[in-house]
Amino acid sequence: MSASREDNTSPDAQLSSHFFGDLLDSIIVDIASECHRIAKLGLDRNLEDEEEELRLSTQARVRAADPSNSGETNSKYVVDIFGQTHPPVASEIFDCMNCGRSIMAGRFAPHLEKCMGKGRKARLKAARNSSAAQNRYSRGSPASTYSPYSNSTSTNRLSNGSTGVAGEELSNGTYEEP
Amino acid sequence: MRHSVNRPPTPDAAEDQEKEPTLQEIINIKLIESGEKERLMELLRERLTECGWKDEMKALCRAFIKKKGRNNVTVDDLVHVITPKGRASVPDHVKADLLQRIRTFLDSAAL
Repeated sequence: MSASREDNTSPDAQLSSHFFGDLLDSIIVDIASECHRIAKLGLDRNLEDEEEELRLSTQARVRAADPSNSGETNSKYVVDIFGQTHPPVASEIFDCMNCGRSIMAGRFAPHLEKCMGKGRKARLKAARNSSAAQNRYSRGSPASTYSPYSNSTSTNRLSNGSTGVAGEELSNGTYEEP
Repeated sequence: MRHSVNRPPTPDAAEDQEKEPTLQEIINIKLIESGEKERLMELLRERLTECGWKDEMKALCRAFIKKKGRNNVTVDDLVHVITPKGRASVPDHVKADLLQRIRTFLDSAAL
């Protein structure tokens, strides 16, 4: 190659651009080929599916925002985004880890309240078992369900906690009697 | 002597006299043989991916495919869709860097 130095700027730039364009074209073809392949094989989340999903989600959003559907009362009729309906009260049954009884999931929270502290028998039991720890519990709050020292003066609070159902549960007596 | 088969003259002799490889072709061969072309291409690919150019191009493709229907699209279609926008939207610093490297190669190899 006997090209002299002076000639190099313009044809040199042209040459560089040519090769750059060459590289770019190859890359563009690669990208086009890749997208084409993905489209043909349906690997990209199918475009029609995407539109369908968008439509379904806007529908769900409309239904959720609709004021005529108050969440609790109509929950039997509302379909969630996966197309499932849920009963208003959870009906699965499992064992309480505190007392070992079979409890329905929808009734678990009230059960725990009685089982663990709010009820009379549980509180008595807790008081006996942890007399040393009495002083550490917060004494001030009358609303506290874990007040272990309230043996004698607790009659008022008891009447709050024990409903007819609670009475049944407690009188079945699976706790050790103090 | 009888020629039983009609045979065109052996190409080599004719070709050498008719056509000299252009400067471009010579340099292209040098680029490829030295492995520099491959390196430059990988570098360019990496740069274009980093700056989001590749994603832009893929988005253009997807939009086109969506519009036209995925069974009616050819690779050629897509190339024609991306090429003008693609060439125009390469970031300046990427282009400058690659051009610089190519020029360096030309300087070192063009003798």
